[in-house]
Amino acid sequence: MRAHRPGALVPEIPRIMVLRCSGLCDPGAPSRLGAPSRLGAPSRLAAPGPRAAELFEQVIAAVTGFCPEVEAVQPGVCAFGARGPARYFGGETALAGQVIAAVAELGVESRAGVADGLFAALLAARSAGPASADPANVNPATRGAGPSSTSPVDAGPPLVLVIPPGRTAEFLARQPVSVLEDQDLAGLLTRLGLRTLGDLAALPAGDVAGRFGPAGETAHRLASGQGSRPLAAAPPAEDLSVTREFDPPEPLAEPVVFAAKALAEQMHDSLAARGLTCVRVQVQATWADGRESHRLWRHDGLLSPAGVAGRVRWQLDGWRVPADGTDTSDGGIAVLRLVPDQVVRATGRQLALWGEAAVSDRVARSAMHIQAMLGHESVLRPVPGGGRDFWERVTLVPFGEKTEPRLAAGPPWPGRVMGPAPGVVYPFAREADVTDEAGAAVTVTGRCVLSAAPAWLAVDGDPPRQVTGWAGPWPLSERWWDPVAARRRARFQLLTGDGRAWLAAVQDGRWLVEAGYW
Amino acid sequence: MLPVLSALRGLLPRGGLARGSVVTVAEFGLLALALLAAASAAGTWCGIAGIPEAGVLAAVGLGLDADRTLLVPDPGDAWPQVVSSLIDGCELVLLRPPGRAPAPVRQRLEAALRRGRGVLLVAGDWPGAQVRLRVVNQGWTGLGDGHGQLRACCAEVVADGRGEAAMTRTHWLWLPGEDGGVAVADPADIPVADWPVADIPAADTVRRLSPVRAG
Repeated sequence: MRAHRPGALVPEIPRIMVLRCSGLCDPGAPSRLGAPSRLGAPSRLAAPGPRAAELFEQVIAAVTGFCPEVEAVQPGVCAFGARGPARYFGGETALAGQVIAAVAELGVESRAGVADGLFAALLAARSAGPASADPANVNPATRGAGPSSTSPVDAGPPLVLVIPPGRTAEFLARQPVSVLEDQDLAGLLTRLGLRTLGDLAALPAGDVAGRFGPAGETAHRLASGQGSRPLAAAPPAEDLSVTREFDPPEPLAEPVVFAAKALAEQMHDSLAARGLTCVRVQVQATWADGRESHRLWRHDGLLSPAGVAGRVRWQLDGWRVPADGTDTSDGGIAVLRLVPDQVVRATGRQLALWGEAAVSDRVARSAMHIQAMLGHESVLRPVPGGGRDFWERVTLVPFGEKTEPRLAAGPPWPGRVMGPAPGVVYPFAREADVTDEAGAAVTVTGRCVLSAAPAWLAVDGDPPRQVTGWAGPWPLSERWWDPVAARRRARFQLLTGDGRAWLAAVQDGRWLVEAGYW
Repeated sequence: MLPVLSALRGLLPRGGLARGSVVTVAEFGLLALALLAAASAAGTWCGIAGIPEAGVLAAVGLGLDADRTLLVPDPGDAWPQVVSSLIDGCELVLLRPPGRAPAPVRQRLEAALRRGRGVLLVAGDWPGAQVRLRVVNQGWTGLGDGHGQLRACCAEVVADGRGEAAMTRTHWLWLPGEDGGVAVADPADIPVADWPVADIPAADTVRRLSPVRAG
C-alpha cells in the first residue's frame, strides 16, 4: 500500500493519530519526540496546572473508548495507533471526527492529525485547523472533511488533517526545520541554507551524522519519515503500583524480602491481566524514621517474583551499610512499594537487555549486588565507538542499560590521534606545565607555531620529567558551529626520560595531559 | 588456569594465571591490561575496579572483549565488599586497592577467590601474592625531536614471587608492537642509542628505539 519497491526491506511504520487539545497543551513545552515517556508518573503531565491535568485524564479516558492503547505524549497531546479503530469506525477522517466530538463533550477543543509515524502525526495535528501556522504549507487535497454531523462543533475550518499512507515523506519535506525539537540544530541548518526537512532528508545520512553528530542523525531520520519511536501505551491514570505497609515497622530484612516476593507476584498478575509488561521496576522503601529510598531496576519481563525479592534484599543491604559509620537504628521498614516503570504492551518478545553478549545470571547478580551498594551508575560496561579523543571513543553505560556508543564508529573522525592507543586515559585531563630549556613556558600561537621545543614536562604536581622526544602540534578544531561545545586544541605526543610517553594538548593557553602510554 | 597471551607465558609459572591466586603488577598500565586479554577473548568475564583511567581501547586492541567487561571505577570505602561481589561474577578481576588492605581483608578476599576459582590481578602491592610482575625499563619508537609519531614500545618485565615462581625471570616484550599486539622482543637488538630516525627505513623498528633508562 506504500510506494516502496517490492522486496525492499523497510520497517513497518504504523499509522498514528495524534489528538491535540488546544486549551490543555503548553505551546512552549518541548515535544519530547525522542524521549521515552514515563507513564508510571502521570503527574508529570500536569505542567499547565492541576485542573488541566485532570481534564486531560478525562480526555484520555474518552479516547480510550475508541482505542484501548493511548499514549500521553506531552501535556494536552495524546496518540494512538489508527489502523484498527479506523477500520471499525469507517475511515481515518470519520474516526478523527468522532474522537473530536467525544472530547468536545468534555468541553475541550481539539485537533487531530493522522500520518505514518508519530513525528509526522504530531506535525499534522499541529497543522490542522485554524491555528495552522501556514495553510499554504499543507496540500489541500489531504485535508479531512472536518467534524461529522454529530459534532457539536460548528462547521468551520477543518479540524482534521490526514496525510494519506505513503505520502508522509512528501508532507514532511515541506515542513520548516524549525519544527525540530533541537532549536540550536534548526538554527544552524537554516544558516546553512537547509530550510525544510526535505532539504535535510536529501543529504546522505552518513554526512549529516558525521557533521552534526547524534542530534543530526536523529533529525535526519525524522525528516526522512523514519525513526519515530514506537508508541508506549498504557491505560491512563491507573496506578499499577503495589504497596505493603508494615505496622509495627519491620526491623529485619527477611520478612520485608518475603513480602516483596508476594508484592512482585501481585504486580506481575495485575500487569499480565492487562496485557502489559514493564521495562523497569522502581523499589521504594520508607523507614519508620521517615527516610525514603528509591531505586530503579531494569526488568524487561525477565524478573521472576523471586528475582524482584532478591533485588529488594540487595537494596536493603546496600542502604543498611552505614556510609559514614553512623548508627543504623532506623526503626525498620514502614512501607514497601513496587512501581512498574515504562509500561509497554507485552509482545512476548524479549528485548536485548544486556547487549549482544549473553550475560550469565552469575555476572548479572554480581553487578546488581554492587549497584545496590553503590548506585546504578557504579557498575559500567564499556562500549567502543567513534570520536576524536581516546576518552570519548569509549562510552560507559550503566550495567543493565542498552549498550550503545554515544558516537558512531562508522563515520571517519578526522583529527583523531593515530598509532597505538594509550593504556592510561584520564577521565579528566590533568593540568601540566611544559617548559623549554630556558625554563619559559612553551606556548602555541593561533597558527600553531611553537614558541620553543619542549624540554620539561611537569604533570599535576609530579616532579618535572625531561622531554626526550616530541611531535606536534596537531591542531584540532571541534564543533566550531556550537559556541558552547566548540574546542580548539593543539595536541602533542611527548616522550620523557623515564621511558614513558604522554598525550598532551594546549587548550586556551593551558597544557593538559589527556593520556599516558605505558 | 586462565590463559594469557603467548608472549606473556614465559613470565608466569606454568604459563598462565593459576585459578585462586593473586598476581600483582607494580603499577597499572598496558602490562596489566595485556594480562586480561587472552582470558577475556576466551570467554572469561573481566572486572576492573578502582582504575577510572583504564584505557579500554588499548585493552581491546590487545584482545580484551569489551562486551564481557565490567568497570567499577570508584568502589569507595567499602571496596573489599565490592571486590568480593565482583569476584562472584567475574573470574578475572583487576583491582587497584584504594587504600592499604589489612591482613584480615586480604585473607577474606583470597578465600573468596579460592571459592570462586577466580584470579585477582592487583595493580600495586599485595603481600603474599603468588606472582609479582613489574616493568623496569621501557622505550618507545617512532617519536623524534619535533616529528614522527609513537609506534611501538619495548619493555623489560621482571617476574618473581613465591613457591614455584620464586626464581626471578626477566623478559623483553613489545608492549605494544607495531601491529598493536604483544610479542617477545629479542634482547640482542635492544637498546640502540643515538638513532637518527630519518635515516632508517620504517620497517627496521628495533634500531629506532630511544635510549632506555632505568624507570
